[in-house]
Amino acid sequence: MSPAETEFKRSAPFTLGVELELQILNSRDYNLARDAADLIELLGKMEHPGAVRPEITESMIEINTSIQSTHYALVRELRAIRDAVALAAQRLNVRVAGGGSHPFHQWGDRRIYPTERFQHILDLYGYLAKQFTIFGQHVHIGCPGGDEAVYLTHLLARYAPHFIALSASSPFQQGEDTSYQSSRLNTVSAFPLSGQMPFVRSWSEFIEYFDKMRGYGIVESMKDFYWDIRPRPEYGTVEIRVFDTPLTVDRAAALAAYAQALARHLLKDRPRPPSREVYLLYNHNRFQACRYGLGGKLIDADTGRQVSLKDDVLETIALLEPHAAELGAGLALKELESGAREGASDADWLRRAFRERGTLGDVARLQSDLWVGLTRPVA
Amino acid sequence: MTQLSFLPDFPPAASPLALFGLLLLAGVIGGEFVRRVLRLPRIVGYVLVGLALGASGLNWLDGALLREAWIFVDIALGLILFELGRRLDFAWLRREPWLAATAVLESALSFAFVFVALLYFGVEPLYAAIAASIAIATAPAVVLVAAQEIGAEGQVTERALNLTAMNSVLAFVTSTMLLAWLHHEYQASVATVVLHPVYLLAGSALLGYVASVAAMTLARWLGRTERGHLVVSLGLIAVTVAAARLFELSVVLALLAFGTLSKNLDRRHDLLPVDIGWIGQLFVVVLFVVSGASLNAAELATGGTLAIVYVLARFAGKSLGVMSLTYLSGVRRGAAGLLCLALTPMSGTAVGMVHRTGQLYPDFGAKLAAIVLSAVLILELVGPIAVQFALRRAGEAAENK
Repeated sequence: MSPAETEFKRSAPFTLGVELELQILNSRDYNLARDAADLIELLGKMEHPGAVRPEITESMIEINTSIQSTHYALVRELRAIRDAVALAAQRLNVRVAGGGSHPFHQWGDRRIYPTERFQHILDLYGYLAKQFTIFGQHVHIGCPGGDEAVYLTHLLARYAPHFIALSASSPFQQGEDTSYQSSRLNTVSAFPLSGQMPFVRSWSEFIEYFDKMRGYGIVESMKDFYWDIRPRPEYGTVEIRVFDTPLTVDRAAALAAYAQALARHLLKDRPRPPSREVYLLYNHNRFQACRYGLGGKLIDADTGRQVSLKDDVLETIALLEPHAAELGAGLALKELESGAREGASDADWLRRAFRERGTLGDVARLQSDLWVGLTRPVA
Repeated sequence: MTQLSFLPDFPPAASPLALFGLLLLAGVIGGEFVRRVLRLPRIVGYVLVGLALGASGLNWLDGALLREAWIFVDIALGLILFELGRRLDFAWLRREPWLAATAVLESALSFAFVFVALLYFGVEPLYAAIAASIAIATAPAVVLVAAQEIGAEGQVTERALNLTAMNSVLAFVTSTMLLAWLHHEYQASVATVVLHPVYLLAGSALLGYVASVAAMTLARWLGRTERGHLVVSLGLIAVTVAAARLFELSVVLALLAFGTLSKNLDRRHDLLPVDIGWIGQLFVVVLFVVSGASLNAAELATGGTLAIVYVLARFAGKSLGVMSLTYLSGVRRGAAGLLCLALTPMSGTAVGMVHRTGQLYPDFGAKLAAIVLSAVLILELVGPIAVQFALRRAGEAAENK
């Protein structure tokens, strides 16, 4: 491996970048459509900030923001990209929606987006590649160096359940209520290279591990690890990947601001050393968040006590207040706080839409109305 | 009374039920044969079976039997036109006006090209104009069924279907207006000349509107049950087709109006999207067998050369219309040519228009039939192949289909 590839590209600390995977629906029965290529080509002819990219199947696109340092700028950019995508989608008579899963599409109907990399993923993982038609939000946090990135990755692991519960928006899959708040992560877990970063202590130790895996031919690049939280040396960031794509860009921006404030707290205050205990409890806590959302129960690795996920989130938000103020993210965290206090989630919104309207087609339609701002977030 | 009176009469009288079953079986076997051996769309097989059974071949399916089978054809057409109408999205046309503009331009150019070409070959202006107006329409059944057979989905598919719906309406309007001219030529009163087109257009649209309001009202009353809404849709489709026939209105226009209004006026989304899928499939097979049987290959001998001119001029007109505006519409590069191919089919509705003219003016109808029906014969067989080729090439077919 060339040193350039594992060299951690330093970036300004606590800068932000957001990627959102979005659903493309047809306007007829609101099932997933296959128009990603047309949508991307049309957007290529339009002026818009950020970037729009293909994803594993033809029913998805990914939007990326540029590097931002404040919540305010981030939300503005996200809205602008959303509007551009919505405009292009209108010309193609398709709809775009947020949410971690499409409520009723059948994975067997999906088609892989025709690129070499995606074809390789299909060849390697078989049906999992098509089941991977799920929609996540990835948040990149800028890090000053590799060692800091390793530290931050370990420390953020404790908060993965927060990110999951606050973003959960995939209650339905394949036409069924899964009973989970976020069913999307169950699909991710099926991949052999999913999970968490091993317990390395420094960037050099990380490189050692990475080179070994590469030497075995297990991975070629960092992109092959589908970890929940992973360092991205080429961007100089730590990437959090456990968020479901929320139902609105405003919520996506608020979640990114939460991650940003948390990263600032962790890197500035260095509250504790990385702990293996966190990883011992990781899968249990992660499951609780996926299954019950804010109603789940965590086991705190520090105290060994069981705490309610909701209380833990509220306490953390309070703790982050000075950092949020420093970053200009106070309002975003307030918003998250009041939602968490009520125990509201996007998953609940979707379930309520289903109860009120009666079919999952209606849910998908309302989901896409909400994404472009035609419906209100709280029904 | 004899001792054996419990036995059935011999020979048995033709029963519509037996006819339906036999046409269905013959069609399915022909379709599957063509798909496996020739690797062509099943529709081609259905039409070939029809040609073999009809006047062009064994002549088992004669005029009387075809009239018996007409009810199944009507049901099939009703289902297809309703479905096509549901895909015609007014909101989309407002946001993408170039698509509507494309429909108007390709319709106008295909009319103009065919008209001029026929004039050049010495066809009288009135015949040429009516034949050209029929050329405007793409066959809804062929495009929809060929697309569904390969599970096609995407921009070329959706645009082809929307253009088909629009050019079918434009063809009907144009031919109706020309019929009025024909009335005039045949010394009909001015009242007939004016009132007949108005009656046809307004009456058909009104019928479609009434059906769509009934569908939405019933759907709201039934609640959110997909099965219930399917049954309501099927029932109303049958009633609307029958009413269109009863009132001498246009089945095509009435059903397209029903479909499109039930989609576009349904602001509260009362009527669930229904999947007519396999039910439609049954009738579609019979539709294509019957349309094959109602064509006569012998007509190629009289209309052959002109039919080829007709087909080529029509293709040139449609292609020029589509190509010149796709740059402005939101479709990707390379899709325009495929869209042109997808618009080639002609079939049942054209036959219907010829018959309509023939009923009113038999002498005129016969002259028209030689040209148009020969063209239909060619395009019934080439059309489905062109559609599937285009949609596959556009990358819009489902995998393994």
